[in-house]
Amino acid sequence: MSEATPTSPTPDPAGKKILMIMTTGPEDPDKTYAPFYTAALMAAMEIDTTMYFLMHAPELLRKGAAEKVPLKKGGNLKMFVDMAQENGVKFVACAESCRDLCEIAPGELIDGVKLVGSATMADLALEADSVLSF
Amino acid sequence: MAILNGCEFPDDRSYYIERTQMTWVRVEGDRVTVGLTDPAQTRAGKILHVRLKAPGTARERGKPVATVESGKWAGPVMAPISGTVVEANSEVEADPSLLNTDPYGRGWIVRMTPSAPAELATLLTGDAALSRFQEILAKDNIRCVRCQA
Repeated sequence: MSEATPTSPTPDPAGKKILMIMTTGPEDPDKTYAPFYTAALMAAMEIDTTMYFLMHAPELLRKGAAEKVPLKKGGNLKMFVDMAQENGVKFVACAESCRDLCEIAPGELIDGVKLVGSATMADLALEADSVLSF
Repeated sequence: MAILNGCEFPDDRSYYIERTQMTWVRVEGDRVTVGLTDPAQTRAGKILHVRLKAPGTARERGKPVATVESGKWAGPVMAPISGTVVEANSEVEADPSLLNTDPYGRGWIVRMTPSAPAELATLLTGDAALSRFQEILAKDNIRCVRCQA
């Protein structure tokens, strides 16, 4: 085995907080994969990562929905939703979007989704070190 | 060297198998070297990026010592024991494909000094490790391949 040298001096982001605002739903499959993948990676880096789903995005969290979102490279979105959750990404969904726009009852969401009011998005954004919008 | 479903498992390693984690450990004096197993690198797919915890980083068992991304998978490589990272393999940072092509050799990830050496006895070895791997390979239908650079 070769001897190693100290690794690159990139600051360790562990402990930082990132909020991802997700507005795209299954109507545009190409825009759904990257946010889940990126969130999974950030959580693996020990960044406290929350995805906030509003407008049509909560549709992706309806039970059985991610399986029906095809990906260009093959397969479907489900494995990326699962990967994000396995890595510790928190999912919160806008209660108003679920009720009035997507017409999803709380029991129709996948496990692990917290329903919150719109004011919570402000709290989460102000608490985060960075906010990303998709 | 045992081989199951095309996956190699060297006899001189201990194995940490926990949820989606499948890493190897080799004790070298007062240090241990940590890396991905053959099924772990196969499941990840062709690894494109890796980021390693810097030397000096203290880790509890089950906390990440690295993150890897392949485009189809992004996740942590968990510390199989508690301890401090004393070396990070800069060669795999420069060429992450080593994790796929030589996971038990040049593709090692970090070296650590254990802070709780008794944990080493909880890692799986020999037939116990192979039995557990056999279950996982069957359940997840894994047949190992070594992606080329």
